[in-house]
Amino acid sequence: MDGGSRLGAGLARRPAALAFPHTRRAPATLRGRRARVGYAFLAPAAAVVASVTLGPILYAVFLSLSQVRLTGEGFATTWAGLANYAILYRAPEFWQALAFTAGYTGATVLVEVALGLVVALVLNGLVRGRGLAMAVLLLPWSLITVVSAEVWSYLDNGAYGLIDYVLVVLHVTSQPVNWLGEPTLALVAVGLADVWKTTPFVALILLAGLQMIRRDLYEAATLDGAGPWKSFWRVTFPLLRPSLLVAVLFRVLQSFGLFDLPFVLTSGGPGTTTQSLALLAYRAMFNDLEFGPGTAVSVVTVAAVVLVAVLFIRGLGVRLGEAGDGAA
Amino acid sequence: MQTTVRGTILGLAAATMVAIWSIGAAAGPAQHRAASVTIVWAASPISNNGLRQHLITAFERAHPGIRVRLQSQPTNTDTNRQELITEINSGSATPDVYMGDVIWPAQFAQAGLAMDLSKVFPSTFWRRFAPGLVAGATYQGQVYGAPFFMDAGFLYYRKDLLARYHLPVPRTWTQLAVDAKTLLAHHAVRYGFVWEGAAYEGLTCNLMEYLTDAGGKVLSGTKSLFDSPASVRAVSFMRSLIVSGVSPAAVTTFQEPQAMNAFAQGQAAFLRNWDYAWSNSQSSPAVKGKVGVAPLPAFSASGYPGYSNIGGWNLYINPHTEHLAAVRTFIEWMTGVAGQTQLATYASEIPTNAQVQRLPEVRKLNPVLGVVSRVRLVARPAYTPAYAKVSSALYTNVNLALTGQLSPRAAVAKAAQAIAQAISGQGL
Repeated sequence: MDGGSRLGAGLARRPAALAFPHTRRAPATLRGRRARVGYAFLAPAAAVVASVTLGPILYAVFLSLSQVRLTGEGFATTWAGLANYAILYRAPEFWQALAFTAGYTGATVLVEVALGLVVALVLNGLVRGRGLAMAVLLLPWSLITVVSAEVWSYLDNGAYGLIDYVLVVLHVTSQPVNWLGEPTLALVAVGLADVWKTTPFVALILLAGLQMIRRDLYEAATLDGAGPWKSFWRVTFPLLRPSLLVAVLFRVLQSFGLFDLPFVLTSGGPGTTTQSLALLAYRAMFNDLEFGPGTAVSVVTVAAVVLVAVLFIRGLGVRLGEAGDGAA
Repeated sequence: MQTTVRGTILGLAAATMVAIWSIGAAAGPAQHRAASVTIVWAASPISNNGLRQHLITAFERAHPGIRVRLQSQPTNTDTNRQELITEINSGSATPDVYMGDVIWPAQFAQAGLAMDLSKVFPSTFWRRFAPGLVAGATYQGQVYGAPFFMDAGFLYYRKDLLARYHLPVPRTWTQLAVDAKTLLAHHAVRYGFVWEGAAYEGLTCNLMEYLTDAGGKVLSGTKSLFDSPASVRAVSFMRSLIVSGVSPAAVTTFQEPQAMNAFAQGQAAFLRNWDYAWSNSQSSPAVKGKVGVAPLPAFSASGYPGYSNIGGWNLYINPHTEHLAAVRTFIEWMTGVAGQTQLATYASEIPTNAQVQRLPEVRKLNPVLGVVSRVRLVARPAYTPAYAKVSSALYTNVNLALTGQLSPRAAVAKAAQAIAQAISGQGL
């Protein structure tokens, strides 16, 4: 699983790195020369990083265009063109996994950003105890996902789980609820575990963004007669946009690589309702030894993530690195 | 200035390249001592009392020239398999020998991940094993795994509760349902019968037991036989256990630990589980001394005992091993009388060695062993390299039928279609 999650998250995270470097055109030749020297210094490190990031991606693309057979001493490949992608196109499991991953990402990121914003605003307003509150909030984020997923699977258990116990004792339900056994409830259960874990992360990024907004802007807004509501929408929100973008991007990229939560909580069930793209790729590759179609799933995931990232950056119309530097 | 900078950069780059190269060189094969051979054995944890190390110590005492290093693998069987595939397919010479699931031979043989043991051992070697086990490790006429310990599905029951309400140990599924409903009506337990119904390999094992008893089959050769009235009967019955309240709805999310947990906490009257559930229930205060074990029931009284799905683990050899002779000695010992007796007495695993299975001192320790000679065994159709896909076609669709998302008939039809696709090498 470890390798699997690394695979999923790793493939998904990469485009973030690609999206960040923004360079401004240097007007002076001296600046240009300095930049060149800087790049030269960067080159060895960049080469090493590329060999462990770009290399595997390109290899995955190559495998996805091949018919792959395991020989016990590596892969035997023959050129297959788009045959693996044709398999995906015809496989209902693929479309289901894509729909689940996209829908899940949309829903959880929306909730996490909304909740995270509220938490960040509250924390920003705190005069004392901010450090302690943040430490407590960050606990879920710092727990390893597999560990927290195991805890959630115990809480969610439909026979002896704590959540059902509380619901029955409080007479909310008469019968235990089979949280992980009903398609809709299983989606909610997995989503809930995600929101619990990553809302603090979003809050942290947004809090950093809030603290970079200059106090005097609010004073000016108050002098101009703006109430709290108006000053939020006119001052806070526009200036927070770069941080929001960073938070949303990070979450979308991570969420598209979703693997460990459903792997532990539902193993993709009931049926295949909570099977994410990463889980599908993992199963194709390591259960069925279908490395061609499996890598095709990974490549499609990366392509989808890159597309979403580009759309977001364009749509929100912010350039990363303007005010979001501190948060990133 | 310019040249100095360039020189520095070139120097740095060169230094980096040298550093990378030397790291790569240092990671090459380790040196072996001339006096003794060290082999690496990859195995996931077997019991919770250190059986693997115990076996290694006993083996090293018997064969002082061979040292064994344990490479502990993940408990999760999928993760375990993934690591072995990655390691061996990359050409690594270690692990020299590894413990792998009984459903792996065809897949691993086809992918070149396991050595053909027919060429390593003489044909007389295979006579030591209990009947049926070697056939299960055979792919296209060659044996790829040496049976190490076996497992099967058993019915565990609360003998104290059955005695108190004068109920018989069930021999039919109908009787089990009656027993469970009586105990539930008296509030003697919260749940009647718990088993493994989550969408994973364990559900395929459970299904095989009902299916075979109902007269059904998944495959014959490369032909899917799953779309049959017997399959519908098996799946309908499993679903009816939930609908009638005999089993909690949560069994559709249960793997072995959850089912074991519910039973060990004293919440369930009946449990379908593997051999380990015996020793596990002996260490649970809530049910210690109150548990009995029997073969699984059948649909009709004349069909008793019902079918038990074969589980368990084989020893496989890495095709790239550089210590074949030592590995051969290791497997000889592990599957021989000495190793198998340790296995059965130290951790009460079910030995694969027929002679050890019959030893009175072994039988006395583990009542499951007395039962195993009475059950009828059925193997999953793992003789096809596409078995992993076949199984996931079964468990994903049957799981949906158990939760009521699909009718048993529709689930069987969908599974059969996916199986046919998997066998013909199409689909994802």
